[in-house]
Amino acid sequence: MIPYCKYQQGIHTEIYHPNNIKPISVFSDIISTVEFNHTGELLATGDKGGRVVIFQREQESKNQPHRRGEYNVYSTFQSHEPEFDYLKSLEIEEKINKIRWLPQQNAAYFLLSTNDKTVKLWKVSERDKRPEGYNLKDEDGRLRDPSMITMLRVPVLRPMDLMVEATPRRVFANAHTYHINSISVNSDYETYMSADDLRINLWNFEITNQSFNIVDIKPANMEELTEVITAAEFHPHHCNTFVYSSSKGTIRLCDMRASALCDRHSKFFEEPEDPSNRSFFSEIISSISDVKFSHSGRYIMTRDYLTIKVWDLNMENRPIETYQVHDYLRSKLCSLYENDCIFDKFECVWNGSDSVIMTGSYNNFFRMFDRNTKRDVTLEASRENSKPRAILKPRKVCVGGKRRKDEISVDSLDFSKKILHTAWHPSENIIAVAATNNLYIFQDKVN
Amino acid sequence: MEFRLEAHRIVSISLGKIYSARGQRGGLKLHKNLLVSLVLRSARRVYLGEPGGECGLPPRPRDPPPPDCERLRRGGYRPLGSEAAARGRVECPAESPRKRSAVERGQAAGSPGKKPRREAEPSPPQEDMETGNVASLISIFGSSFSGLLGKERGAAEASEPGQVCCEQPVLRSLNPWSTAIVAF
Repeated sequence: MIPYCKYQQGIHTEIYHPNNIKPISVFSDIISTVEFNHTGELLATGDKGGRVVIFQREQESKNQPHRRGEYNVYSTFQSHEPEFDYLKSLEIEEKINKIRWLPQQNAAYFLLSTNDKTVKLWKVSERDKRPEGYNLKDEDGRLRDPSMITMLRVPVLRPMDLMVEATPRRVFANAHTYHINSISVNSDYETYMSADDLRINLWNFEITNQSFNIVDIKPANMEELTEVITAAEFHPHHCNTFVYSSSKGTIRLCDMRASALCDRHSKFFEEPEDPSNRSFFSEIISSISDVKFSHSGRYIMTRDYLTIKVWDLNMENRPIETYQVHDYLRSKLCSLYENDCIFDKFECVWNGSDSVIMTGSYNNFFRMFDRNTKRDVTLEASRENSKPRAILKPRKVCVGGKRRKDEISVDSLDFSKKILHTAWHPSENIIAVAATNNLYIFQDKVN
Repeated sequence: MEFRLEAHRIVSISLGKIYSARGQRGGLKLHKNLLVSLVLRSARRVYLGEPGGECGLPPRPRDPPPPDCERLRRGGYRPLGSEAAARGRVECPAESPRKRSAVERGQAAGSPGKKPRREAEPSPPQEDMETGNVASLISIFGSSFSGLLGKERGAAEASEPGQVCCEQPVLRSLNPWSTAIVAF
């Protein structure tokens, strides 16, 4: 067990569960994406059933200082429905693959949500007043007989119970032949991109019937297909720059100023393969499942099946840091191939200051790595461990030999309990962890 | 020949995944099936004992490269393909191929090719059939996606005519998969 000093800077000191919140289980479906908005006030989740649930952080009040900003349900809506592609005789899943927030520009909130084929822009707004005193209709909405109206009055706005409504403002459809895996909002706030297995398209938020194709790696002959796009993201500050990762473990950085079609990369990040680690499954485990720019824009982080790598944009030939997430699985790859776990796509996130990175694992474990102190911790998201105000205890996986008390052996891990999606508040030490159909929110301890 | 056993097992698992992928909700997952086909290719190379690096591929990181590999590389050992295909010919009505395969099996008592079959026997009879089909499929597959599509016909023609009629049912069941890929 790694001891933690209470006031140590860097990785959270002690993470514990906010008081009186059990895991937020409003989901009957598996959570498929989690995302904080730019201020951290809102937390959006998407699930396999096509629903989006948004949580809002409570305002801190002087009366109840111990209720330091809990997250409560703010809005729920059905974003996508199952569809049927008649031409190909294929069902299109309603599962929400990704949600991305737009920065707030007025009182309403905007987010993008996508399933395999269609991206939608949703407006989430509050209504807390309602007009009363119309002339031509009565309070129930029934039209009045005009001949009965003898005087005019001005309708007034009266307060009402807060209502949060979500309306679809744009639907961006029919632009992807393959399954969409990523969406990313550009820092110009006017455009965004959507990426599927073989192509990346650039959209303007205002225009739904056109998009520009900016990357196309489809070979002329599909028999020659050797790699697919697995994730893509815009640079946080440079609106002309984006990266995309591939199933071969490579990352390409592209500059949209160079040409209209960014098939030729500006930078190519690849680490030479370690020949001593070769196996039948080398190609699968090197496939990158997620790529994220640091908030600074200086680094990118990639997640493959067993590791997280941090790359400096200025150095293409190898990552500057590599973290082992669950290397004890390396000897189990054949079984993991058999039960399909080897295809699980884990995501990874930076904290607000880019000093800590986090990702999920199996058995409802998730891992945090402090880049400065090089310390790491394994924590578990489970009901049994989440009593109010309880401090999360670091967990340890025993890889062989004598198992100590409190350690869990590799063979006892539950591979059906996987944490694929996590999110970190943009400025505070608050994390959201999706464990199948349970959402856990953990906060740093504050005295 | 542990590595060949492992390769054989991986090939059958991979084929199972490809077949079941066709019925999946949401359509064929290109990424996953590409990865499965890459594993299939590596396992096939090892199973057929093809030279070119994979022969020294350890199934697990700690195992040393099997000594048989050296023998395969040095000697002019013929790939197992034809023998495997011969086993697959069991269902074929032609007399001579069956006799030949029986003779070959007798001759190959100590050969690595026989062991996977023996190992498969304790499993239910359906799996035995699959083992035979798998072995013939291994000979069909080329080294890339193309192995799943047009090229296998060329390979079949190059080998004995007796093989073709048996491979047909297997090819036919492959076709929906290959059609799906082409439709992309």
